[in-house]
Amino acid sequence: MTKSYGYAGKILDIDLTTGKIGTVVHDDNYRRRYLSGAGFNARVLYDEIPVGADPLGPENILAFNVGVLVGTNIPTASRSEVSAKSPATGLFGTANSGNFWGSELKFAGYDGIIIRGRASRPVTIFIHNDAVKIISAAHLWGKDAWNTIVTLRRELGDPEIQVAAIGPAGENLVRFASIENGPYDAWARTGLGAVMGSKNLKAIAVRGTGSIAVARIKEFRETVTATRRAIYSSPFYGPFERFGTMLVTLPYQEFGILPGRNFQTGVIDGWVETRSRKLVPRYSNRGVACIACPIACAHWVVVKEGPYSGLKMKDMEVTPVIGFGAGCDIDNLPAIAKITEICQRLGLDMVSAAAAVAMAMELYQKGELSESDLGYPLPWGDENATFRLLEDIAHRRGAGDALAEGTPRAAARMTGSDKKAIHVKGLECFLMDPRGRWSTWTLGYITNIRGGDHLRTRNPVENLRYNENSVPYRTEKFAFPEAMYRNLDMPEQLKQEIFDPETKDTDIPKMSKWSEDLISLYNATGMCIRPPVLHTVGPTLIAGLYSSLTGIDITPEETIQAGERAWNLQKLFNIKHGEKPEDSDYPARFYEEPVGAGPAAGRKLDRVKVKETLAEYYRARGWDPQTGHPTREKLAELGLDDQNSNFSQ
Amino acid sequence: MIMAKELAIRPQKCIGCSTCALTCSLVHRGVFDPGQSNIRIYRDDFAGIFELRFSSTCTRCGQCARVCPSGALQLLEIPGDDAPAAEGQVSAQ
Ligand code: SF4
Ligand code: SF4
Ligand code: SF4
Repeated sequence: MTKSYGYAGKILDIDLTTGKIGTVVHDDNYRRRYLSGAGFNARVLYDEIPVGADPLGPENILAFNVGVLVGTNIPTASRSEVSAKSPATGLFGTANSGNFWGSELKFAGYDGIIIRGRASRPVTIFIHNDAVKIISAAHLWGKDAWNTIVTLRRELGDPEIQVAAIGPAGENLVRFASIENGPYDAWARTGLGAVMGSKNLKAIAVRGTGSIAVARIKEFRETVTATRRAIYSSPFYGPFERFGTMLVTLPYQEFGILPGRNFQTGVIDGWVETRSRKLVPRYSNRGVACIACPIACAHWVVVKEGPYSGLKMKDMEVTPVIGFGAGCDIDNLPAIAKITEICQRLGLDMVSAAAAVAMAMELYQKGELSESDLGYPLPWGDENATFRLLEDIAHRRGAGDALAEGTPRAAARMTGSDKKAIHVKGLECFLMDPRGRWSTWTLGYITNIRGGDHLRTRNPVENLRYNENSVPYRTEKFAFPEAMYRNLDMPEQLKQEIFDPETKDTDIPKMSKWSEDLISLYNATGMCIRPPVLHTVGPTLIAGLYSSLTGIDITPEETIQAGERAWNLQKLFNIKHGEKPEDSDYPARFYEEPVGAGPAAGRKLDRVKVKETLAEYYRARGWDPQTGHPTREKLAELGLDDQNSNFSQ
Repeated sequence: MIMAKELAIRPQKCIGCSTCALTCSLVHRGVFDPGQSNIRIYRDDFAGIFELRFSSTCTRCGQCARVCPSGALQLLEIPGDDAPAAEGQVSAQ
């Protein structure tokens, strides 16, 4: 085999039904087109998962792929993408995570793992460089993810083994089960843990002691230094290093866009004093990073007093604080840290888990779910009831069994309609409220390939200062110094189309397309999406990093186009597997019920305006404005009109 | 070597990113390979402890300190050209 630079060089292909273990090697042309990560996974899943495949059946494919830039010292290059047909949405399921698992896999000699079929009994895949074994996990089945990691490291005799594992939720096919990446990180969204559970695969333990080669070292080192400087130059570098994602906890309350009590109120009493970033220093004085990351957005948390005294973990990420703190109104950070630990041990996606508990609390409030259904009362803010309900969901006990199906199915079963489920395409969207603040970010809830989610689009110059826009639904203001948008790594022509420096308006549909393609590019190369990166690292730097690392030359235009190609291919997957144009829409509550309290009280979404904006977004994408399907011209431009794209408009 | 005194080490500041080890292996071995680096970071996930260990082959060249983002490794007399921007230049939003 020729020497591989940047890439480890091969992908494992494991059939759990037969136990056959093979490898796949891609040529440079394929690599340049799909890069790695989400790009590789999109191609494999699109080509190989048959229409009608049960997400929890052996026909589904679970693909792990590590970013090509991972395993190097490129700042934040730590991420890998896991994809499968989602049991939550029935569409393209995919999730991204950093930590040290992906780099370990590359040091073991593999860029990814394609997992097919289903083992006849519980197994672990153990990869130690060239030795790849399928070993029994009978004694691990039923264990939580933390215990699984500890046990595997002890039994396999190496504390440096990195483990991807499911907890009881994945085993019990909870439709929002995560795959835990070490104790504190996860490929969380779209229920991939249930796919892993359906294959009887408890864990993938990896130890690698090989190396990653660099094609052009001098040029590579210069580009890494330029990338490091760019990230440090973001005015968000310092604040992010200090507060991580907890940064946004204050403005959300100010605008009244918290998902309070299952999106019934936009503000929470006592929020600033009890749940905002102001409290971070009380519990943490130190960051914890993924491999090669200078930002360290997570915190090492130690709780020293109160009922959770003794709790120690990497934590204080905004997702559970907003989800459980606002969505369920749990009023203290230590309890939310405990909930985080429970979700990590059980292997639950914290966004969807918060949405499930919040919906159950609303049903309880309204008398549609009773103490006898649950076995205990479930008032707003009750942390102990929340602990119990999460366990009931993961073990499918009582009312937890219905909730384990995800909020849309659970609501339909419990109330006859999905109206109280806050989801898009079956995936819970549980962060800021689009009724209270409309932006590129919230349009992303309905344009996102993986369903209702906030992590696949984000305006790189979004701001949380203004909340009034010149043209409602179509523009948002930027509030940063002009230098920031001038320095954006974005083609000049596009900047002129997207920004108006006079009015300070940003065109939302066009920015949505750009930022989705950019994040798609990060997810296809292993870069992290955190704002210091989003503000400063674009196709020019990534093309330079990729070319000098791999020796496969690529232009900035080809680089961002690879992000766009991966996105379009995922859309084609969705269309092939039954997505309808009307599925790209907000939950009924956002149109029918106004925000209950706070500065955004009384606001709701306008269906006509949303439709018009969505059509504009489709135009910006080169998709049919009515159906949202990629046009033949767009597919030809992306080179996706090949024999495998057997798709008709 | 005199250089040895110039590499200041404050393990309690370490964020566990291993950028030092990755950089050392590239500079001295021409590949990315933490196992071949002259500095290793041993992580205890559950205790939140990162332990820094230098091997006897370390030349005290300071390349690891130039890229260390946390101040755990610092080259005292040579201002790192990669030093992080000062915190809090812009209000935290
Ligand atoms: S910013 Fe946070 S999530 Fe991203 S790579 Fe760094 S530590 Fe990991
Ligand atoms: S001082 Fe130089 S040789 Fe020693 S660990 Fe750091 S980079 Fe490696
Ligand atoms: S580069 Fe600095 S912060 Fe990162 S692991 Fe090394 S010593 Fe720790």
